[in-house]
Amino acid sequence: MSLEVQLLLLAWGTLVGLDLVSVPQIMIARPIVAGPIAGALLGDVRTGLEVGVLFELFQYDVLPMGATRYPEYGPATVAAVSAAHAAAGAPGIGLGALVGLVTGMLGGASLHVLRRLNAGAVRVAAGALEAGDARVLMHVHVMGIVRDGLRAALVTATGLALAEVVRFVAGALSVRGVTLLGVAAVAAAVAAASAGTLRVVGRGPSLPWFIAGVLGGALMAWVR
Amino acid sequence: MRPGPRPPLGRSLLRLFTVQGSWNYERMQGIGVGVAEEPLLRDLQEAGDGVAYRAAVARGAHFFNAHPYFCGLAVGAAARAEHEGVPPEQVERLRTALCGPLGSLGDRLVWAGWLPFTSGLAVVGVALGFGMSAVLGFLLVYNVGHVALRWWALQAGWTYGARVAVALHQPLLQRATAWSGPAMALAVGAALPLAARALATPFAGWARSVLLAAALVGFGLLWLSRGRLTGLRFGLALLALAALVGWLWR
Amino acid sequence: MSIALFRIDDRLIHGQVVVGWGQPLHVGFIVLVDDAVRASPWEQDLYRMGVPSDVEVVFASTEEALERLPEWEKDPRVGILLAGDIGTLVALSANSHQVKRINLGGIHHRPGRSQRLRYVYLSDAEVEELRRLAARGVEITAQDVPTARAVPLQEFA
Repeated sequence: MSLEVQLLLLAWGTLVGLDLVSVPQIMIARPIVAGPIAGALLGDVRTGLEVGVLFELFQYDVLPMGATRYPEYGPATVAAVSAAHAAAGAPGIGLGALVGLVTGMLGGASLHVLRRLNAGAVRVAAGALEAGDARVLMHVHVMGIVRDGLRAALVTATGLALAEVVRFVAGALSVRGVTLLGVAAVAAAVAAASAGTLRVVGRGPSLPWFIAGVLGGALMAWVR
Repeated sequence: MRPGPRPPLGRSLLRLFTVQGSWNYERMQGIGVGVAEEPLLRDLQEAGDGVAYRAAVARGAHFFNAHPYFCGLAVGAAARAEHEGVPPEQVERLRTALCGPLGSLGDRLVWAGWLPFTSGLAVVGVALGFGMSAVLGFLLVYNVGHVALRWWALQAGWTYGARVAVALHQPLLQRATAWSGPAMALAVGAALPLAARALATPFAGWARSVLLAAALVGFGLLWLSRGRLTGLRFGLALLALAALVGWLWR
Repeated sequence: MSIALFRIDDRLIHGQVVVGWGQPLHVGFIVLVDDAVRASPWEQDLYRMGVPSDVEVVFASTEEALERLPEWEKDPRVGILLAGDIGTLVALSANSHQVKRINLGGIHHRPGRSQRLRYVYLSDAEVEELRRLAARGVEITAQDVPTARAVPLQEFA
């Protein structure tokens, strides 16, 4: 993979990471978007779509509410696409999942660190903020966004580096081993998505709709 | 004090797109909300050497947390209340009382509704072979709703000020919130088997059986051990297991 | 059993409560114990807007809550009791044996408080209050959403 493509992926992962919480929250952070665009940058939309769907399923396990901690799957999906693409030939989805899940965990942890750093900055500026100094207010805010941009870039870069390592290691795996990894990735994603969605659906009025959806989807999958 | 003409809301709206840019454990969205409210407070600068302006800016940046797309309601309502000379304690009380309901409404309408609903449709689209058009369609449709909501929230906040609860009675909003849950359940429900099918396509017969069994066991584990096991941890554990088996069984 | 969760959360009714806990517990009613909100119709109107129409919201002062707690406990629906501060639940549990478990959901920064967890800030006096409560046999844990781990009081205060 050329350096140019790597830099493009890094830029895309950074935008995606910024989008999740900070700016502008148009949901390019969703794996179903982050993945296919990363794939397009690599000239491999198909892998991008596949990995995008896989991590979109993992995403259904996450509800970003208040100060809850959650994994960050945007930059993770970008790195996962890079890993899956690199393992050309064999189904690379398992290797992609490995890279993506580790990066997702890292991303979640980095958000926690960022929020603490931001809290520190707020504490330092508390006097000026209480005096209603609009310039300090703006400064604290902009620095928060800059920090998040750096964070997103760092997470993406780590993920992309991880993808390179995995690409190197992938050669040592047997065909069966690679297949098993893929199976594990898809099984875990489906399980996470089902459990996560059902948790949000609950036992209330949405449950019949969920069941109808699953049956309808199964029917469509069967017919095709 | 009577409010003057409505200040231009555009700058405030643009800043609202960054409302969580400085999210932190201490004030949560407070700083971002203050930044978005500040342009609406500028005409208070002339009165009393800017004392009212600075006090309002300081209040605007106090602790706040709600759904990001609904923050505009609080920004508009608080700014309007400041212009109307509502006593400071009342403004604070208004902001505090808005956090929970705007958070709950947004979480139900967007995070557990509109977003997974549209994303579920996108997954269905990709699984059915529509590829990139399904993805771009999702981005477009989702954001029509997203931007409309942000804009509605800000201007409704300014329109109603301290009586902002009236804005939340808006029938369309009520209907959308009531329908978002079932719609999401239907779309994501349909997406699950279709996505599973699409992702399982490259695997041979035996591998698909293993996949089905592992998914069922995983679902059971995740359902029973909520609070301890997350999808991510389960995924990593299963991948580790697969790597081990693949290494032993060459 | 009817009140499934006694929760201290200064944002009272919000997404974590309604979606996070309400949906999986299939909650039928929420009791909001807060003297100031009880006295303020417009705030009640707001809080009601945050809750799905099939969930009843009951607003009560601390005094009313004490009186009506046995009634809620007999309700066939599952309920959540919410209070914005520690004092309210201390008062409730001091006068009722029905409060056996308390969930700390979100207690945020205020001057005098220091950070104990991501979402829990407590002053030393508040820590003392909680410890006294725990010494009386009330199980106190912090847990923002059901998918997070319940952190026992000893671990953070």
